Amino acid sequence: MTDTSIPKDAPRAKTSIHQIDALTKKRNAAEKRFKAYGMAAIGIGLFFLIVLFTSIIRSGAPAFTRTVLEVDFTLTQAQYEEAEGQLFKTAAYSDFFIAELEETLTADGMSVEFDADTIERILGKVGGTLREYYRANEDKLGEPVTFSLATSSRVDGYFNGRVTRDGLEDSRFLMAADLDLVDALEEAGIITSEFNWPFITGADSGVDNPGGAGIGASVVGSFFMMLVVLALALPIGVAASIYLEEFAPQNRFTDLIEVNISNLAAVPSIVFGILGLAVFIQFMHLPQSAPLVGGLVLTLMTLPTIIISTRAALKAVPPSIREAALGIGASRMQTVFHHVLPLAMPGILTGTIIGLAQALGETAPLLLIGMVGFVARGYPDGFLQGFVEPNSAMPAQIYTWAARADSAFYDKAWGGIIILLIFLMFMNILAVILRRRFERRW
Amino acid sequence: MMKDNVDAKVGVNAMDVKFTAKDVQVYYGDNHAIKDVSVDILDKTVTAFIGPSGCGKSTFLRCLNRMNDTIPIARVEGDIRLDGEDINAPQVDPVQLRAKVGMVFQKPNPFPKSIYDNIAYGPRIHGLAKNKADLDEIVEKSLRRGAIWDEVKDRLDAPGTGLSGGQQQRLCIARAVATEPEVLLMDEPCSALDPIATAQVEELIDELRQDYSVVIVTHSMQQAARVSQKTAFFHLGNLVEYDDTTNIFTNPQDTRTESYITGRIG
Repeated sequence: MTDTSIPKDAPRAKTSIHQIDALTKKRNAAEKRFKAYGMAAIGIGLFFLIVLFTSIIRSGAPAFTRTVLEVDFTLTQAQYEEAEGQLFKTAAYSDFFIAELEETLTADGMSVEFDADTIERILGKVGGTLREYYRANEDKLGEPVTFSLATSSRVDGYFNGRVTRDGLEDSRFLMAADLDLVDALEEAGIITSEFNWPFITGADSGVDNPGGAGIGASVVGSFFMMLVVLALALPIGVAASIYLEEFAPQNRFTDLIEVNISNLAAVPSIVFGILGLAVFIQFMHLPQSAPLVGGLVLTLMTLPTIIISTRAALKAVPPSIREAALGIGASRMQTVFHHVLPLAMPGILTGTIIGLAQALGETAPLLLIGMVGFVARGYPDGFLQGFVEPNSAMPAQIYTWAARADSAFYDKAWGGIIILLIFLMFMNILAVILRRRFERRW
Repeated sequence: MMKDNVDAKVGVNAMDVKFTAKDVQVYYGDNHAIKDVSVDILDKTVTAFIGPSGCGKSTFLRCLNRMNDTIPIARVEGDIRLDGEDINAPQVDPVQLRAKVGMVFQKPNPFPKSIYDNIAYGPRIHGLAKNKADLDEIVEKSLRRGAIWDEVKDRLDAPGTGLSGGQQQRLCIARAVATEPEVLLMDEPCSALDPIATAQVEELIDELRQDYSVVIVTHSMQQAARVSQKTAFFHLGNLVEYDDTTNIFTNPQDTRTESYITGRIG
């Protein structure tokens, strides 16, 4: 076939570049529109982030303050003996305390009527606390001692606005009339708000004592779990990736492994939990609720993440570096460990820390292996015990609090979320710093 | 030793032959990339491989230090001997072979480390230096041989990647000679360089000929004519012609060679 002759174009009209033509206008409009979409997307993202953070901080802030009643109290030797001689010993202590508190308030020119029940509603069983103290410190008898007593969670709530007078009508935990005393005590400077250190350092409390609940023990639980995950997932994950990426022959079998690793990354975490329950606890008889088991389960979960990111980091190392090393006569292992791995390090570390952060916030598998709630009675006795003694973890603790009836625990749950987010933030910052630190330019 | 022997005809003195290749075939999967290539490469000689793109000259070069091993789908057949020893024999560790047969690549590829460490890496892994002083000496000697010593002697701690392209390539050549190889393979070492850097590298290649057998793959016929004593012309995976460089360029025996050097194919 011969070419049909190309039709000759009509002579081109002269155009001016000072005049924007229709096509250019359309193109520019499209670009502008796209930029607007992008900015809108970012704006929406930021908006939700701000909403999220303000709501978390607003809801969680109350958990970080507590109200304490600070008062000087003197118990004489005679009073001590008298109280110890009675049948209801703590009631006697309570009576002495009330008498002295009334005296203090009267001296300040206030007259408020209150009885032992009111005090119990505000301060809990204060008699027991006093008796415990004086039985342990008999030498303090007769001299003034400053007691710092945590008020009940309702009083906390009254101070931070969760509890109102109107809402207290049929409450048997705190009556509206009790608040008169609270107001008076606040005016006298006896009840004050302070930073709630016990929330950061303490362990979980009973369901009837939200004020005493702390997240400290579960932070320790999470810490031990992360140690297990780091110690297992990092070396195993990196070794597996290096082998797959640099040494393994490319065949059906390695393809199969590759597909399965990707699939593992998509398996819901609760499946890993039930696997952990079946294998580690029921079959291997490892201790229940122990950070060791939690760590093992989270290791299984984190491994695919680490392997995938490590392989991506290894792949990103330019092949010319491998050729250079091989060309000099380095063995494959020398090539990997002297040249490829250092260059892949930032990517590996980032992947590992993101994997750890994911594991730190994971709740579902922990529920299945019993790392929940009230098992966290306190701190483990030693470093090694930390791995095997029953403990909780931060997200599981938050979950438990959120499920409890007393609304004061709700504040605690939000407070726990703030702590968890702070930890995650630090891990992410660490990831960025490490990446910057190890990054090499070429 | 016999520096002036380079113009001798192939195989006149068997002592001078460094590499002997017989009926070499290379397959990349189903693609037959090198067909029946037989060639003798002489010691203390610069041998140039020329030919159009994709003719297999780089592939054949990579057979000589078994770099094709790193490509999973590549398959090499035939007999290649270095000083009479089969380099594809099962007992040969490619690592030992590559210590004897150094390689310089098309794109300068210094390690992202200091200039010193770039040079010292090879001697270190091959145990060529007993102590720090030894190593310092090797580094200086290699950098001098790479004709880059004067430019970098004051900043050996600076990263090798911070040098200019031509300096990087000379650094890579210095790195290759630091391991005391017997043969130096160069895969288009000047294709990423400007004419001045190219001239420096060519001068360097000419000097290296005194101690090594140098095999250079090049796209530039002028370069082949300038630096080599022997030239092999590859076309479509075949070794078309192999002779003294002067013969190839002035009196080619094969019409394809003639077409190529006169610019009609390629």
